[in-house]
Amino acid sequence: MKNQLRVLRAQMGWSQADLADRLEVSRQSINAIETGKYDPSLPLAFKLARLFETPIEQIFSDEE
Amino acid sequence: MLCTPKNPAIHRYTYRLLVAMSFYIAFIVVAVYAFREHITGPLAYLLAALPALPIVAMLAIIGLYLAEEKDEFQRNVLVQSILWAVGATLSFTTIWGFLELFVAVPHFDLYLVFPLFWGLVGVASPLLKRRYR
Repeated sequence: MKNQLRVLRAQMGWSQADLADRLEVSRQSINAIETGKYDPSLPLAFKLARLFETPIEQIFSDEE
Repeated sequence: MLCTPKNPAIHRYTYRLLVAMSFYIAFIVVAVYAFREHITGPLAYLLAALPALPIVAMLAIIGLYLAEEKDEFQRNVLVQSILWAVGATLSFTTIWGFLELFVAVPHFDLYLVFPLFWGLVGVASPLLKRRYR
């Protein structure tokens, strides 16, 4: 699954570690999601959407 | 081990692990000293199995860690590592069992299965994490 996480994070000026702290997950998790190697659960995806104040569909897209 | 050091789930896991290991060492000492004497009956079985109890408790400790860890990615990696290790342990012990049955190989003591399993979890975990880099 593709995502805009890296772009959104850069717009906020956050490092992977900053975002990880805000979500209470490890930096490795953020990296795995950003690289599209790990798809987060719905609760974590909603948490991301709330944090970036944007709909989930604008963060994640189901194209391969 | 799996996450940032400030992770409270890791702290609790480490604390419980240390408690379990302390009981393990204590029970080993008790068993070794007790069996210097000739012990029979139910007490012998109980004393002989005693050191295994903290090891079995480690499964519960890992279960608690998985329940308390908030980071789903880390949970996912650990569960995958455990599954790989279960598969490798069962494969090794089954193959070795047949080798012992039909050809001359050294006996593999059953109490070594558990450390073998955790060793394999330790090998699988960093390998699986590399997949997600």
